[in-house]
Amino acid sequence: MTEDYLPAWSEPFVGDRRERLVRLVPIAGMNREMALGGVDGAGVTVAIVDSGVERDHPAVGGKLVRSVRVEPGDEDPVVVDDPEAIDVVGHGTACAGIIHGLAPGADLMSVRVLGPDNRGKGAIFAAGLEWAIAQGATVVNLSLSSKSDALFGVFHEIADAAYFANVLLVSAANNVPGPSYPSLFSSVVSVAAHDVADRWTWFYNPQPPVEFGAYGVDVEVAWKDGGRMIATGNSFAAPHVAGLAALIRSKHPGATPFEVKAILAAVSDGARPGG
Amino acid sequence: MADDPSRRLGQEALDLLQAIALRGEVARRLETESTLAVLRSVVEATVALFEAEAASIALYDAAADRLVFEVAAGEQGQGVIGVAIRPDEGIAGYVFTSGQALALSDVASDPRFGRTVAEKTAYVPRSIVAVPLVDDLGTMGVLEVLDKRSQAAFSLRDIELAGVFARQATVAIRASRVERDLGSLLRATLHDQSKASGAPSQGALDELVRAGTERLDREDDSRLWALVEQVARIRGSDPDRLELVTDLLGAIARQGERDARARRRGRSGAPARRADP
Repeated sequence: MTEDYLPAWSEPFVGDRRERLVRLVPIAGMNREMALGGVDGAGVTVAIVDSGVERDHPAVGGKLVRSVRVEPGDEDPVVVDDPEAIDVVGHGTACAGIIHGLAPGADLMSVRVLGPDNRGKGAIFAAGLEWAIAQGATVVNLSLSSKSDALFGVFHEIADAAYFANVLLVSAANNVPGPSYPSLFSSVVSVAAHDVADRWTWFYNPQPPVEFGAYGVDVEVAWKDGGRMIATGNSFAAPHVAGLAALIRSKHPGATPFEVKAILAAVSDGARPGG
Repeated sequence: MADDPSRRLGQEALDLLQAIALRGEVARRLETESTLAVLRSVVEATVALFEAEAASIALYDAAADRLVFEVAAGEQGQGVIGVAIRPDEGIAGYVFTSGQALALSDVASDPRFGRTVAEKTAYVPRSIVAVPLVDDLGTMGVLEVLDKRSQAAFSLRDIELAGVFARQATVAIRASRVERDLGSLLRATLHDQSKASGAPSQGALDELVRAGTERLDREDDSRLWALVEQVARIRGSDPDRLELVTDLLGAIARQGERDARARRRGRSGAPARRADP
């Protein structure tokens, strides 16, 4: 009933539809062991642009090396240290826990753009993202997006700048009508949820804009105040791909965003070696 | 100067601006009830389809900077109506600020979750799905569904289905809302008007908008707003009652006009007609 008019980005990754994702990949000989075997993410820094990350949460494993927040400022938003490292919702800690679970050796960096002092405004989100790129984060997890037309150009420039600066942006697809940025830009890795209960299962969808499907249904995640929660949504699928990307970059430090994306596709579930 | 916008705009134009603002505000207040009725039907349909304990819609009130739960349905839903939370607070706040739909379960096992709203409503859900009310013009609120009776958690499909209802609510709000923010309406109109003659500064525009809408906040108009609210309430009455109210108001208005004429004659020295003892 709903399929006709939903921007259902998860649709290709759910149930029988997944059979359509079986395809021959043009990269012969690549397998998961070559892609990300035997590494734990060491040497990689993953930035989480979200509601903050609780430094002491057991799921984060003490790997939070830096925590900042973005404040509105007098004219332009400013990035300030957030030594308390709190999470105002629990969502950022959930993302951090997923990434740490896949890549326990990776350093984590929290950029809080949601909270009492900024209300999640697009300009603050953009400033936080720019900061993460300038800090040399290797992978940036974005489980949020902006719908502001005024910021289309800003986010487009930032996404391109990240791509050229060798920073991989992993962005959750947004099931809302109309475009949302930066999840629909070709320079980012856009992710929707699948319902296979396995964090090591992911799919590549050759029909853009949403190219990857990862575990995002009934995921047990870390939450606020040391808690845990069962959560569903594209925003829990994105950090799975961010964690996998951290492993690939740990194993192949010279790989560019384009190459990481190609490797993710080549060893995805459904990929079959071919010509 | 900045203190006297009438000099820039002309007194006549300023009067016109104020009249437009007043009519716009009256229309907005009259519309509130019908918008709420549509939203109520959306949450009722949501509860029925999901077989949920409750569904509710919170709308963002920019003036108060709060998300306010306006309508709710379901056995456990009513307590939330009128609850106002910070737009970054709890699950509704996260969904509002991030624009990202999500579902959570095992909520009750963690007493820290959603403490603020749960304490205000005395109902702590086990599971929740929350989706933003969003269209091309922005995010205006959140639709929440609590506790599906048949299942412990909401599925991906449920999130998408809740999104369909959210879209219905969004369209209803946009379609029936005359213009929620008179300030931006006037600003846009003035901006367009003034393009030909060279655009004035943002400060000058703000000043004109303030001048145009300032009488809406005057205390002595509070009786007018009380009247408008009563009129809004009786809008849905049967035709006979509406006719009766219209006749009554007409009679009172005519009497008021007669009294005003009598007072004017009194002031100008002409003998005022006195009521017979």
